[in-house]
Amino acid sequence: MVNAAPATMETRPPAPPSAPALAAKVSPRFPAVAAAAASEGRNVIVDIDDVDFFYGATQALHDITLGIEAKKVTALIGPSGCGKSTLLRCLNRMNDLIDGTRLGGGTIKIHGVDIYQPDVDVIELRKRVGMVFQKSNPFPKSIYENITYGLRLQGLKDRRKLDEIVERSLRGAALWDEVKDRLQASGLGLSGGQQQRLCIARAIAVEPEIILMDEPCSALDPVATAKVEELIQQLRSRYTIVIVTHNMQQAARCSDRTAFFYLGKLIEYADTREIFTNPAHAQTEAYVSGRFG
Amino acid sequence: MIETSPPPQPAPPPVFAVQKRRLRFLGLTLDDTIKAFFGGNALVAVVVLALITVFLFREGAGFFGQNRTNLEIYRQAGLEYVDFIRRQTDDHTALTRYLSDLRLRQVMILTERERRPLDEVNAALAPFDAFAEQFSATVDPLRALLSDLTEQVTAIKTKFIVTQDRKEERRQLLAEGKPAEADAVKIDTIDFATELKPILGALPLYKETSREFSRKLVALLDSVPSLPSPELHPRMEKLKQLARNYAAGFPAIERDMEAWEHTFPVPAWETFTAFLFGRQWLTASFWQDWYGILPLLIGSLLVSAVALALAVPLGVGAAIYVNQIASTREQRLIKPCIEFISAFPSVVLGFFGIAVLGQALRLLSQQPWLSWMPGFPYSERLNILTAGCLLALIAVPTIFTLAEDALNNVPRAFKEASFALGASRLQTITRIIVPASLSGIISAVLLGLGRVVGETMVVLLCAGNRIAIPDFTSGLAVITEPVHTMTGIIAQEMGEVVRGSIHYRALFVVGLVLFVLSLLINYAAQKIVRRYKLSIG
Ligand SMILES: Nc1ncnc2c1ncn2[C@@H]1O[C@H](COP(=O)(O)OP(=O)(O)OP(=O)(O)O)[C@@H](O)[C@H]1O
Ligand SMILES: [Mg+2]
Repeated sequence: MVNAAPATMETRPPAPPSAPALAAKVSPRFPAVAAAAASEGRNVIVDIDDVDFFYGATQALHDITLGIEAKKVTALIGPSGCGKSTLLRCLNRMNDLIDGTRLGGGTIKIHGVDIYQPDVDVIELRKRVGMVFQKSNPFPKSIYENITYGLRLQGLKDRRKLDEIVERSLRGAALWDEVKDRLQASGLGLSGGQQQRLCIARAIAVEPEIILMDEPCSALDPVATAKVEELIQQLRSRYTIVIVTHNMQQAARCSDRTAFFYLGKLIEYADTREIFTNPAHAQTEAYVSGRFG
Repeated sequence: MIETSPPPQPAPPPVFAVQKRRLRFLGLTLDDTIKAFFGGNALVAVVVLALITVFLFREGAGFFGQNRTNLEIYRQAGLEYVDFIRRQTDDHTALTRYLSDLRLRQVMILTERERRPLDEVNAALAPFDAFAEQFSATVDPLRALLSDLTEQVTAIKTKFIVTQDRKEERRQLLAEGKPAEADAVKIDTIDFATELKPILGALPLYKETSREFSRKLVALLDSVPSLPSPELHPRMEKLKQLARNYAAGFPAIERDMEAWEHTFPVPAWETFTAFLFGRQWLTASFWQDWYGILPLLIGSLLVSAVALALAVPLGVGAAIYVNQIASTREQRLIKPCIEFISAFPSVVLGFFGIAVLGQALRLLSQQPWLSWMPGFPYSERLNILTAGCLLALIAVPTIFTLAEDALNNVPRAFKEASFALGASRLQTITRIIVPASLSGIISAVLLGLGRVVGETMVVLLCAGNRIAIPDFTSGLAVITEPVHTMTGIIAQEMGEVVRGSIHYRALFVVGLVLFVLSLLINYAAQKIVRRYKLSIG
């Protein structure tokens, strides 16, 4: 078993706004979400409202409206090419790196701030919204340097503090016991599953609020997958997690809310139990039961 | 009609036709032919490489033997002995040059700063001029002696060479089967000991002259006139000191001359050290030829260093920009432009260097606001800087293309991971992309260096072609001096040397050094690339 991180995680300077404040701030253009969220007492921190997204001339997302709740795991599912990764990458503006992409319409607000406004500091945004990729991608540096990378970018140099965060992050990612004796060894020398957990540790080292995971287990064997899932269970108490997965059991096991996409459209978004036991749409039912093309 | 079907028989086993169809051509199958064709091509390449290497070595190897003979004659004919005196007079010349430099400074100060008319200045400097004249006259008796001795030893050397030539002639006649004519060739025998007797016999005269010289020189130093500008007095003091040290060295020269013997052997290694560390490359000289590679090697290295200093930031910087920052449209514009540079024939670049760049750089160097640059202003249009700038142009496409490749090989995932952790573009480039591709970039630089070291036309046209070790005393200003290079000297002199002569072979050895240098550079580059492949995994 892995030790849970000590409760000293709350060292981030700006405290996130409280839930009622957020609910009150949701988009006036789409009162339904705000109303629903407020009425059910949901704490929506990412408010995706009527989003269209384009790769050059091709539209990948159509009118997506979705509220992601704080300290919950939200799963995005759907057949290949339906736009899950695209939506995920919109949330920390990773799509900016691809030439010719644009948000055609709608807004994405985090804590009520429209992250596509020109005055938004993308670097600051990405510190708050971490990401774990489908293919594990540790830097060709030591394990220690992989984890401290984000912190050093922010100018943290204090060796003791760095050591402390490395240990905390590795424990948080359930990797500490396996690598504590070789922190100076290359991150590329780890196994695939360990590399992926290293990437998770790297993401949580900068203490984001939201962690985006794009099929984090697709390259892992069942044992490593189980470890990462267990880890997600532990992280949910401190982070808001959005996870893309093709594995229905995984979505059912790990997530609180599930969104089903099809051809760039959001078909259904509800509690995970709802989606898997009592879906409202025939397409959803066909997909989750595996009868889908 | 219905036939009764025959009773079912077991079906014959299906034909399993997987045998090769043998299509033969001159007794070879198609596969064999293809293999022979490509194998043959590879073989030709290997054989050509081997032939070139063997040829270089064979032609070059004879040099060291010939050079040893060359050094032996230098000693046996007494040239070395006379050079003791020559060096002594040369050192005196350096002192008089110091004096005239001092005068120039003084004149500049008086006319430019104090705005005094030239006549008046000349009048003020009359005592100094008188002193300088006396100073330079002190050496005259020694010079006279030197020129006598020079004539005598040159005669000995010529005699020896004529004898050698005769021997060669006779050997050839004998080989052609003409013994009668061979006998007719008269060969003097030379006994160096007797020939050198008058030279060595001049030692007492030398001693007397040298001591008189020393006495006069030192006496003269007591009556040095003082210069009008006090700021030059330290320099005058320095001259006195230099002159005293110079005179104090005379007894050592005498001792050297007394100890000298024309029979001292020339050890075999001396021919190598004389080549590798020789500070002079002097050919077709009336006195003595020297084949020292140092001035050429230093010239090549300096020009290459300047070229790299310019090309590395440009090439690597452009590669980083194109690979990481530029939009697709910019990429499509910049890449072909840089690659197009390599389409210029280097002789055209050299031409451009002479006609435009050399002139432009010299003009630039004369701008007052650039006078802080080392060596600026300068007057030699063709120098290390001019050649280095053009060579940089040649190296940039190589460095750019290879460095861009190396950057491209960095997995995109690293870049995304870095951005996702909140890195800026600059941070991502300096902390992730460049370190991950560093060995690729280094090998790109090395290959650029290889390109530059081997480049011939540009340096031949633009480096100034002065065969001398440039003056390093004023630091970086060395880049404004003209030099000659290894490639340049081969291209320039190979056409006019006699095949098989020592000069011809010396050029081959220079080529060999160049070859080894390029080989080392390429080897290092490959080694680094291999390590880089491993580290990226
Ligand atoms: N870089 C790109 N340029 C152009 N079109 C793209 C790009 N990336 C994705 N697309 C298109 O956008 C659509 C959505 O792609 P996306 O990667 O979001 O799908 P996905 O749901 O993540 O699929 P998968 O489950 O296979 O990962 C697809 O039709 C895809 O072809
Ligand atoms: Mg995807």
